[in-house]
Amino acid sequence: MIVGTAVFGDLRRRLAQRNRDWLKKRQGPDGLSVTLHRRRIYILPTKAGLMYGAVVFLLLLGSLNYANNMGFVLTFLLAAIGLVAMHHCHNNLSDVTLTFVAAEPVFAGQDAQFEFVMDSHGSRWQLELGWDRGTEVTVDAEGNERVRIRLPLPTKRRGWIPCTRVGISTSYPLGLFRAWAWVYMDLHALVYPQPVATQAQLAPASPDREQQGLRGLGDDEFSELREYRRGDSIKHIAWKSAASHGRLLVKEYREGGQMPLWLDWNHVAAADTEARLSALTRLALDADKNQNVYGLRIPGAVVPPSRGKQHLHHCLRELAVFGTGGKPE
Amino acid sequence: MNIHTGRYTASQHDRQSRLLWTLTAVVIINVPHFLHVPPWVTATLIAACLWRYLLEVRKRKLPSAWVRVPLVFAAFAAVLASYRGISGIEAGSALLIIMLALKLLETKQSRDLTVVTLIGWFLMFSVLLREQEMWAIPYILLGSGLALAALIQTRRAGPVLKPAILLRQTAVIMLQAAPIMIALFLLFPRIESPFWALPTAGSSARTGLSDTVNPGDISSLSQSDAIAFRVTFDGAVPPPADRYWRGPVMGYFDGRQWSWGDRGLRASTAQRSSAEEPVYTYELTLEPHGRQWLLALETPLNWSDEKAFLTLDLQLIASQSIGQRIAYQARSQPRAPSTRSELPRYLGAMKFLPQNSNPKTLQLARQLRSESVSDSDFIDKVLSKFRTEEFFYTLTPQRLGANPVDEFLFGSREGFCEHYASALAVMARAAGIPSRVVTGYLGAEQNPLADYWIVRQSDAHAWTEIWLNRRWVRVDPTAAVAPERIEYGLEEALSDADITVGRAIMGTTLISQALLSWDLVNAYWNRWVLAFGPEAQQLLLGSIGIKEPSKQHLIIFMIVALSIIIAILAWYLRVSITPVNDPVRRYYDEFCRRLQKAGLIRRPDEGPATFSSRVGQQRPDLRAEVGIITHSYLQLRYENFENNAAQTDFISRVKRFRPRQRKG
Repeated sequence: MIVGTAVFGDLRRRLAQRNRDWLKKRQGPDGLSVTLHRRRIYILPTKAGLMYGAVVFLLLLGSLNYANNMGFVLTFLLAAIGLVAMHHCHNNLSDVTLTFVAAEPVFAGQDAQFEFVMDSHGSRWQLELGWDRGTEVTVDAEGNERVRIRLPLPTKRRGWIPCTRVGISTSYPLGLFRAWAWVYMDLHALVYPQPVATQAQLAPASPDREQQGLRGLGDDEFSELREYRRGDSIKHIAWKSAASHGRLLVKEYREGGQMPLWLDWNHVAAADTEARLSALTRLALDADKNQNVYGLRIPGAVVPPSRGKQHLHHCLRELAVFGTGGKPE
Repeated sequence: MNIHTGRYTASQHDRQSRLLWTLTAVVIINVPHFLHVPPWVTATLIAACLWRYLLEVRKRKLPSAWVRVPLVFAAFAAVLASYRGISGIEAGSALLIIMLALKLLETKQSRDLTVVTLIGWFLMFSVLLREQEMWAIPYILLGSGLALAALIQTRRAGPVLKPAILLRQTAVIMLQAAPIMIALFLLFPRIESPFWALPTAGSSARTGLSDTVNPGDISSLSQSDAIAFRVTFDGAVPPPADRYWRGPVMGYFDGRQWSWGDRGLRASTAQRSSAEEPVYTYELTLEPHGRQWLLALETPLNWSDEKAFLTLDLQLIASQSIGQRIAYQARSQPRAPSTRSELPRYLGAMKFLPQNSNPKTLQLARQLRSESVSDSDFIDKVLSKFRTEEFFYTLTPQRLGANPVDEFLFGSREGFCEHYASALAVMARAAGIPSRVVTGYLGAEQNPLADYWIVRQSDAHAWTEIWLNRRWVRVDPTAAVAPERIEYGLEEALSDADITVGRAIMGTTLISQALLSWDLVNAYWNRWVLAFGPEAQQLLLGSIGIKEPSKQHLIIFMIVALSIIIAILAWYLRVSITPVNDPVRRYYDEFCRRLQKAGLIRRPDEGPATFSSRVGQQRPDLRAEVGIITHSYLQLRYENFENNAAQTDFISRVKRFRPRQRKG
């Protein structure tokens, strides 16, 4: 019995996979912005739709038998409503444009959030978006409004995780039919290792500077002005110079006033690679919170000391893709 | 711009609103049933609705199976007890209403509410089996509209719609469905014979002629204003004295009542007509009466219903019971020569009288016959007895006992047409002359607003046919007692006390005008909507050039018509959502598409200017061209709307623009 279920389950999985592959091949891969044309929209009656069809059929038999013209009026009205509903359902999905915006990185165990915008001409109702398994988000888009959607994808492992395919479906207006389309965008979200607290200390570059875990901003030596980069703190913007130059400039501080901390693979005691990566993640987060200048040193990658959001992301990304071969961003 | 995250889950307010919409739709659909089903059925449904709604509002649990299952059995038993069975439309409807009420008590999810709505549509159908008046159309539209709105609300994956939006969506669907419905109504192939036997009418027996005549039957029928049929004459209209509409012929007498027996033998030869006498052509729309006979002006020569046939006693019989309104054309000649040979056995049966019944009448008849020189003379003597002696014509005669003819002739001496017809026929049989009682209608009222005539149940009449000189002769004894009945109709013939209040009101012109106008509308309704059947469908298709369409033709024609309507609908839906034709916008989109191919994708949050500067940074080789195109796009868009030269330049630049993918 159990063997049977297993065989069947396996068969079903394989058939489903085959079906997915066939669909993907039929449609071809998608860019980051997809407009749903009629040819890629599928439609079938729902259970309620089949029930409704059965009712219409019974009423038709009754009307024919009694030669009852008012019965015919009711029967044909219901049949016509069913047909109209089918067209509305299909139309509700066609020419909807789904565009990928970004997937913010998350820590393993959290939900990766894939953000999309959806454009349509005219109102759309009850659009349901999700991955392979069911609906994650339900949207009404009235008028020509552009809608932002965030689709959560649960994560377990670190690294680049791909989204299989985006399903977009609707059973508007009566729930008698379900129209759906599959979108195969090549999307990945970066998942950082799960941060786990550790006993390890941050190793300073030089032993005699070990005491200086914290450093004040005012102590830094001002070195130069450089162009604003994403992730730079607003506090560092040189507003006066920016006003005179006509572009945003940021004060750069030489880190010479303080020795940087190193997050070193070899300085963290852990049971296995994953635990070690988790510990390093925690340390990086702490260092960032304490506004330290820190660098990362793991086998195969070295991130020179710096600080700021961009730097943190850089370090965490190296930890996330460690040993996975990575994937170009 | 809100970010949409998360799946929809129904709130308390949503659930409540959905329930309320569904309950409202179901109750309104059932209103016509409330007039017919026993009060406890209505009460059960209303109570179930209120109970269910209260449970929802107070967030209580639904009743458990321990409550529901006994309720189901109790309700089933109650319906059985009320109707002594569950067959028939009435009992079936009552049972369905009860089931619906009990289903309400276990509706948890929107799926259950969908089932409730579908049951509602079944109940609407059962209303239509009984009621086919004109209000059926507004009833169907209102009821279906409400059910549709309820369905939209319950099936929605999202918060319930505001009433205004909901009504608009419902109206749009209904309006788009209407032409499809009409096409299906006109073109869907109809069948002529039912799949299964129609249930008998049961308690909802229709008013109309019966297959027996008891003293008092027709007088009670005469108090009904219900319409028996409507007639449109093509050409001449027969004079009042010739407006005898022939119905069932009663040949069998058991001493108390006359009965139809069976539908009789099919006449083997066509009815002969006389060249001198006028022939009337007319179309008759018969109200359903649940029996097999058709009404026709005496004497029918030919008729449009090919399956109907004429019997030897000149009854027009249809192939099946008249359960729906039907329309047919016929030609009749009131004074057609009726000489025909009759089977001796049949004439013998028409002379039969049971022993020991109405002895006084038999004795009187034999006495009168011996005093007469011929059969005709005998009949004249009987009629003059009715005319000269104290006989009264009244709608409310005394009730008669075991020997009704004796009691009538020698006791009460007051009666309606059936009393006189029956008495005359019995007297003739007692004198050895074959005779029979014919029932039907006498008269017709013209609707002055249109060219058609109304025959009501109050025109029901009975007369006698006597075998004289080897032919059947119509003898109407009522003419002897109340000649006004034949010439001017019932009201003239009756004393004032007999005219019921309702008919007195109808006498005032204003109201009768209004009633006649209403009847006109109803007549068109009956003729063009309700009597639309296989024949009318053939006529319709014939009129647009498709002669003698077969079922296959009809199906093909229907599919073609539906495809056209649906294509128009689909086109309409598409057009409404296609953006306005804007070449500048279109070519800018094309420009972005070309850049996308080259690996430069415009982010959704990027305006044209930012996108252009980013492209410039990433691809210095394209900076100049992209800058020019973006600049002229923005010019055309936001500053200089109708500059044709600039527009042409912009378009040709986009067309020439072919960015290459960066190597490496």
